[in-house]
Amino acid sequence: MRYQVRHITKYKYASNVSHCYNLANLMPRNTARQNCLESKMMVSPQETHANKRTDYFGNHSYHFEIQTPHNELIITAESLVDVAESRSDLTQSSEISYADALSFLKLQPSLEVIQAREFCLDSPMIKASTELAEYASPSFSLSRPLYACVEELTSRIFQDFSYTPGFTNISTPLAEVLAHRKGVCQDFAHLQIGCLRAMGIPAKYVSGYMETLPPPGQEKLVGADATHAWIAYYSPKEGWIEFDPTNDVRAGSQHIVTAEGRDYYDVTPLKGVIFGGGKSPILAVSVDVARKPEGFMSR
Amino acid sequence: MSDPIYPQNQPIPQPQLQMQAQSQAQTQGQSQASQSLHYNRPTPGIPDQVYSADGVIKPEWDYLLNSLNNLGASALKERQDKARRILRDDGVTYNIYAENASPNGQWELDLVPAMIGSEAWAVIESGLLERAELFNLMLRDFYGERTLLKQHALPPEALFGHGGFLRACQGIKIPGEHELILHSADMVQRPDGSMCVLSDRTQAPSGAGYVLENRTVMSRVFPSLFRDSHVHRLASFFQRLRHKLISLSPSDSQARVVVLTPGAHNETYFDHSYISNYLGFPLVQSGDLVVRNGFVWMKSLDGLDRVDVILRRVDDVSCDPVELRSNSQLGVPGLLDVVRAGRVIMANPIGSGVLENPILLKYLPAISKTLLGREPRLDSVKTYWCGDADDLKFVTAHFKQLIIKPIYRGQNLNSVFGGDLNPADAADLLAKIRHQPTQFVAQERIDKPHIPTLIKGALEPRPAILRTFSVAADNSYIVMPGGLTRVGNNVNSPIISMQAGCPSKDTWITASEPERTSDNEATELGNTELEASLMSIPSRVIENLFWMGRYAERAEASLRILRTVFIMLNDERAISKASQRILLRSITEVTGTHPGFLQASDEQLDNPEQELLLIIKDGTRAGSIRSTLNSLLYCADESKELLSSDTIRVINDIRDALDDLDSTLANGLSSAPEEDLDPLVIPLIALSGLMQESMVRGVGWHFMDMGRRVERGVQIMKTVTTLATQTGDDGDNQTLLNAMLRSMEVFITYRRHSRTRSGIELGLELVILDDSNPRSLIFQFERLQQHFTTVRTMDSNLKGLEEEDRVLLEAVTHLKLSRIATLAESKDKTRTELSTLLSRLNILLSDFSNILSSRYFEHRMDPQQLVTTTWED
Repeated sequence: MRYQVRHITKYKYASNVSHCYNLANLMPRNTARQNCLESKMMVSPQETHANKRTDYFGNHSYHFEIQTPHNELIITAESLVDVAESRSDLTQSSEISYADALSFLKLQPSLEVIQAREFCLDSPMIKASTELAEYASPSFSLSRPLYACVEELTSRIFQDFSYTPGFTNISTPLAEVLAHRKGVCQDFAHLQIGCLRAMGIPAKYVSGYMETLPPPGQEKLVGADATHAWIAYYSPKEGWIEFDPTNDVRAGSQHIVTAEGRDYYDVTPLKGVIFGGGKSPILAVSVDVARKPEGFMSR
Repeated sequence: MSDPIYPQNQPIPQPQLQMQAQSQAQTQGQSQASQSLHYNRPTPGIPDQVYSADGVIKPEWDYLLNSLNNLGASALKERQDKARRILRDDGVTYNIYAENASPNGQWELDLVPAMIGSEAWAVIESGLLERAELFNLMLRDFYGERTLLKQHALPPEALFGHGGFLRACQGIKIPGEHELILHSADMVQRPDGSMCVLSDRTQAPSGAGYVLENRTVMSRVFPSLFRDSHVHRLASFFQRLRHKLISLSPSDSQARVVVLTPGAHNETYFDHSYISNYLGFPLVQSGDLVVRNGFVWMKSLDGLDRVDVILRRVDDVSCDPVELRSNSQLGVPGLLDVVRAGRVIMANPIGSGVLENPILLKYLPAISKTLLGREPRLDSVKTYWCGDADDLKFVTAHFKQLIIKPIYRGQNLNSVFGGDLNPADAADLLAKIRHQPTQFVAQERIDKPHIPTLIKGALEPRPAILRTFSVAADNSYIVMPGGLTRVGNNVNSPIISMQAGCPSKDTWITASEPERTSDNEATELGNTELEASLMSIPSRVIENLFWMGRYAERAEASLRILRTVFIMLNDERAISKASQRILLRSITEVTGTHPGFLQASDEQLDNPEQELLLIIKDGTRAGSIRSTLNSLLYCADESKELLSSDTIRVINDIRDALDDLDSTLANGLSSAPEEDLDPLVIPLIALSGLMQESMVRGVGWHFMDMGRRVERGVQIMKTVTTLATQTGDDGDNQTLLNAMLRSMEVFITYRRHSRTRSGIELGLELVILDDSNPRSLIFQFERLQQHFTTVRTMDSNLKGLEEEDRVLLEAVTHLKLSRIATLAESKDKTRTELSTLLSRLNILLSDFSNILSSRYFEHRMDPQQLVTTTWED
């Protein structure tokens, strides 16, 4: 599937910002099932210096500096991405059991396993806790296929937690999400990652977009789409497999990846330091994910 | 030679050495009558650096102990006092702003050096060279290929789980053979004489400045002992460091190197300022640097100067709030992106803190085999990692015999000795370990060997550790021949740290014959370069000099008005109540301690002592003497690198006098209180003399003196306004005129002139219009004009008549056109003309100060985060 994604971030400040230094993770990366054909960043006011690089996790970071005083910052990321369905050979018939996966991770440290083990450790926003282990463990019995364990965990999170925008923000601790069983996609992703790591399974955070379809017979509204987040876990021999706990599905051709990391901290869409700006800047984000015919190019 | 302190099997000292020792004792006028200094053979079982295993004094200690013994305890005490004075005069401090710091944060130097023979040192040195190389290769590997993980030399969790592994630093490369520029190790000697490393310092190792200062003091206090001991010199190490830093520059033009410090509040600020001065590189703080257009720049008076190399004393995670710790005030936003682009070089590179991970010590043999093909020569302390199942079992079983350490500093957890914990705390710590086993190591406790230390006139054994310093040079490293030895406060001190106020020692590597001096002392590293480019020192430093001038003048003016009023209130000739009140109000005005006497009740005005005491010593009150002097001291700290050593000495006198102020004023103001202020007045006068006589007429001096002139002008106007714009009866007028003349130091001149003329007209002429009086108002404005004219020649941005010129010209014109008779005229008890003139001049002076400040000093807004990430840390 080919998508054109337009992601607009707007900050309105109470007073002038004289300078700012920002880091954006808004340009989609390539993955096993995704190929980013084009990606461009537009910043207003015009950046005085910018630098694009591939970060530690393989994401495309965009660093920029603005020297023009401004009270409104608009960052537009426009990308064209080809996304494939998740690999079909992975189904419930997958054979590796949870027990085998654990011993493989521990005893057969291939290069890939060594790299994956980084994602078993605590990360800035996800810390091991007994609560997470207790929540996860009913789905993980040693003889069961790992895939089935994770699939069930995904479904349980989907059923047990209610999608409640506004209840949490990016700094809400995981313990609170777990206690109130409410949150949004990034909370559920963090939660599932924490559960998987507690079970000894490497898991990472995937940020991106999901194509939404309007109700039958209606036009799709501009800006109606949103950023999204889900997870990927590492299964020895099978590689990284993505699940979306917010929608209780394997991430597939409607899931467009922007960046991957240990948690939200590693892939924050836009962060930075501003000089001036006054208190409480107002943030507005609008996202459009448009399906495009094969062969479509923006220029 | 029948010295009772030597054990029987002590070899007889070389006759030649003996003669030297005697001649030294004679030349220093010591007699054997003075108490001799013994360092007894320790009880067996406790390691001691002086005695070898079979109880013989090692040769490198022999000569030293002999000489000290000949010198005698009382002479040694005198030299210890002398050393303390030198350290104090040089302003050597540690942790000066800590709440529970040792008094004044004075740096403690024990006069008995730690001795290491050249043969033993050669072994240590080769071990350190190899270790620095090993750590360099590790650093490259961790942020590059991570071969060590792939080859199973190190478990992935040991690297990935360490807080110092900064993923944002992946792929940083710097020019030259090495990624790691500086390596330091803390080590102790084992009973068998071999050295054992306790920890490595690889982020921003501090202490080299203290080593230099210790050495300077030792060579001054013991000139002949030092010379005759053939001690290896330190200078070449610093030359190599300087050379290395310059060679790192990515730019083709002349390299600009700066030293980045967290600021005067940092515990080792002295070290930073000393090193920067010694190497001749500007000392900068976070606010002095800025990222623009993909480069790092230093803000100086003439704009932005590009920075090529940064020797940093700021921790890794604090270096850049955009990508690293977001709440850091010590970093430069955007710095890391410039670093990755190779447009500025950091030494050590950001991310090098990953090498301080103590888990590495456990795996060092395997790592060394992988990277160097052999096990390391230098041992490390036996380390157990709780992330390893077997080690965790061992640690749990031997908890009480081990030192438990978090793998990453800055987690609010310190290392503790398991045996010191009570059962509850031990259980608590064990629970933490089980919760996060990968985050802890345990290490064996090594008995630190004793070395002799001067305690109350006797040589006592104290445990010691040594910090060494290595710097990358060409294709190898250079180890400083010496280091920072620190000794415990007690014979059994388990922890030896600068934070605990432990004394330091110079470390002497002795050679069998004198070192050839040709290649070592050839170049005297001075601050010549710094002076040549005065326009390019950070504008913050200049701003602090400007304010130092202002505060010094404000303190002087405040003290003078206080002294004047004290004398007049206690004068045998009684003064009227009305005059008394005006005098007290003038104190409030000059010091700026409003409301003070301005809104005081009659009763308070009749009993002013309480308020007067507060005006002197209440540091929490803006404008008080103490508060103004504290501000002065802070500005001096911030601009230390431009102050002469005499100036620093005088600054220390002010600090001491402030510390003594409470005891000086313990009896209130009952008897000749003006005398009690002398300990403050005298160093201030000395300071003002030094500012005139000991400062190079660079841009720093011009701004400092402009600060002084602006403040003096302000104070003259306040004093004249309070004391002379209102008139009363003749007696009062005379009293207030006297007060004005006294507080402005023109009383004598007035009396001399008064044979021909007298009264208010003469008084006003002296304090306002007499351009030959350095305390007159017109003198201040004319001086400011001269200064600004000079600044113009230095600043290529200035053209034509600037705002500053206009303002000053208007002021001087007003003054020159005034007539004394008109100014002195009083109608309805008010000198209207005088009052009008002064208020106009006041506005002009304050305009001048503001225009100058906004042109040259930065008034930057505080940075804030776009996204608040409260889960960090």
